[in-house]
Amino acid sequence: MFYREAGKLVGSFGKDRRMLPLLEDRWLAVLFVAFMYFVVTALASDYMFTAILIPIMVLGVATLGLNIAVGYTGQLSLGTAGFMCFGAFSAFNLILRIDWMTIPLAFFLSGMIAGGVGIIFGLPSLRIKGFYLIVSTLAAQFFAEWVFNAYPWFLNYTSSGVVSLPMHHYRVFPGQENTPFNAAFWHSSQGRYLVTLTVTILLVLACKNLVRSNTGRNWMAVRDMDIAAKVIGIPVAKTKLMAFFISTFYCGVAGAMYCYCYIGNLDFMIFNLRRSFLVMFMVIVGGLGSILGSFLGAIFVYAWPIVITRGSDFIFGGGAIDTAFIENNSKIVVGTIIIVLLIREPGGFAALWASSKQKLRVWPFAQ
Amino acid sequence: MNSPDNKKSILVLKDISLSFKGVKAITDISFNVYEGEICSVIGPNGAGKSSMLNVINGVYIPQEGTITFDGKEFTKMKPHSAAVMGIGRTFQNIALFSGMSVLDNIMSGRNLMMKANFWEHALNIGRAEKEELEHRQAVEEIIEFLGLQSIRKTPVASLAYGLQKRVELGRALAAKPKMLLLDEPMAGMTMEEKLDMSCFIQEINRNYGTTIVLIEHDMGVVMDISDHVVVLDYGKKIGDGAPDEVMNNQDVIDAYLGVSH
Repeated sequence: MFYREAGKLVGSFGKDRRMLPLLEDRWLAVLFVAFMYFVVTALASDYMFTAILIPIMVLGVATLGLNIAVGYTGQLSLGTAGFMCFGAFSAFNLILRIDWMTIPLAFFLSGMIAGGVGIIFGLPSLRIKGFYLIVSTLAAQFFAEWVFNAYPWFLNYTSSGVVSLPMHHYRVFPGQENTPFNAAFWHSSQGRYLVTLTVTILLVLACKNLVRSNTGRNWMAVRDMDIAAKVIGIPVAKTKLMAFFISTFYCGVAGAMYCYCYIGNLDFMIFNLRRSFLVMFMVIVGGLGSILGSFLGAIFVYAWPIVITRGSDFIFGGGAIDTAFIENNSKIVVGTIIIVLLIREPGGFAALWASSKQKLRVWPFAQ
Repeated sequence: MNSPDNKKSILVLKDISLSFKGVKAITDISFNVYEGEICSVIGPNGAGKSSMLNVINGVYIPQEGTITFDGKEFTKMKPHSAAVMGIGRTFQNIALFSGMSVLDNIMSGRNLMMKANFWEHALNIGRAEKEELEHRQAVEEIIEFLGLQSIRKTPVASLAYGLQKRVELGRALAAKPKMLLLDEPMAGMTMEEKLDMSCFIQEINRNYGTTIVLIEHDMGVVMDISDHVVVLDYGKKIGDGAPDEVMNNQDVIDAYLGVSH
């Protein structure tokens, strides 16, 4: 290990309660954020921003949201893409219909609206658990797909079913949309990357604060043993609904970012059941009940097929082998890796990270 | 009742009957628990002791009878209101939050005293940080009292059984209960652990004035630490009184030693 935990003592409970108790960790975090803001923004290519960094962060936020429900509170949910859909459509309609609406406020409100929907679809969790709950959250998924298809008002009566988001949607301050800076900012992938990065960091910090507070303890108490939670006075029903609210808040913001920062248009077809499953895989592969794991899962599930496809293109020479063949093979490889990973480490990447850290702690003195 | 008149009842159970689809677990049981005492509920397996505790803090709802706690009468107690009124509880088969650390488990025992809402928690503003530190102070006192300092950050799932029982006691204690229900706090423990546990129980009783109702099978422990013993058998009360009085009760002797009917 480059640094040691031993002998680093704290003198107050406030210091003990820090997000990162070790000075070195705090420096690393600051350096990482600075790296993401300055170095990556300056150096990364357009492809890197639009095809890798932005989608990973957006999906990471959705994964974090699902992890709050599944990993922290133990409420299985398969409605993620549906909730993202609610977020995306809320943001679109808020900006379309309210003159003074701005992007930051629209993202926040779309999270709130999705959260409200989440509470409604979370209501069955008060009576049913586990796999049965999956079925009822599945209803959210189908409801979203149906409602945005059946009522064209939500899509502003666009006949094609896909709306590309006009420039006047992108404003951070009211009346700002026509400035050249604004147009340049939102047209560039750097601009959208910076927005995604900022929102992601804020949501991660909020989540970290929640899980180290009474709210987070209540979630985990309900997950681990709801009878005992009830007996020590934790309001189980309220805790579950709150978890659903916050979980879908994150999914809603992720949905809004998915449209506004990633693909640049609005389309309910992309928020399909397949995407819900994808986010669920990210949670499982990353690690249940882990913030870091949510992002590791998103990185792995999203980026690994790209790495394999690009890698084999590089090795075998682009075009020498049929692209469809490579694509299908990359799926097989990714699937195999996931299976092996989950057999070796059922806790996912987060557990893998924790156990390697533990090994490094005692290295080279013990195995 | 066979009680000294100067004692005040904190808990009065009146004619409690509980059955599960025709199987009678408890039949017409009435007894009082007096403020500040250690009351043991004893009886052979299946006598209805754990069911009795579950009735007291609202996990089970009896078909008949009333529960009076602290002057308030209930026919239907709810676990949440029991906790709010100050009834703490541990379970026979440990019911800790296995994914959480010792510290978090005990902190969760203080959830009723924390008033900050989740917005404050998310932003770590307002009452959130202040409350957390205040309650941490109180929880650290409990950790010190139970000698759990060295394992406060350890996940409870990796602890030995005896320690888990201690953490569970700590969690119940963190809520500053008026009355503690302990379901076999010493079951499966070594002699040494039992001694520790009975010391903890007596100290809690003496220092905080907490009334204690416990279920225990070890007669030595029961007779040593109890002020009052209630004996159940087949869901009926067969003895109630001071330990030595109960020991000499013919029905109790029969229930424990067996008698030819």
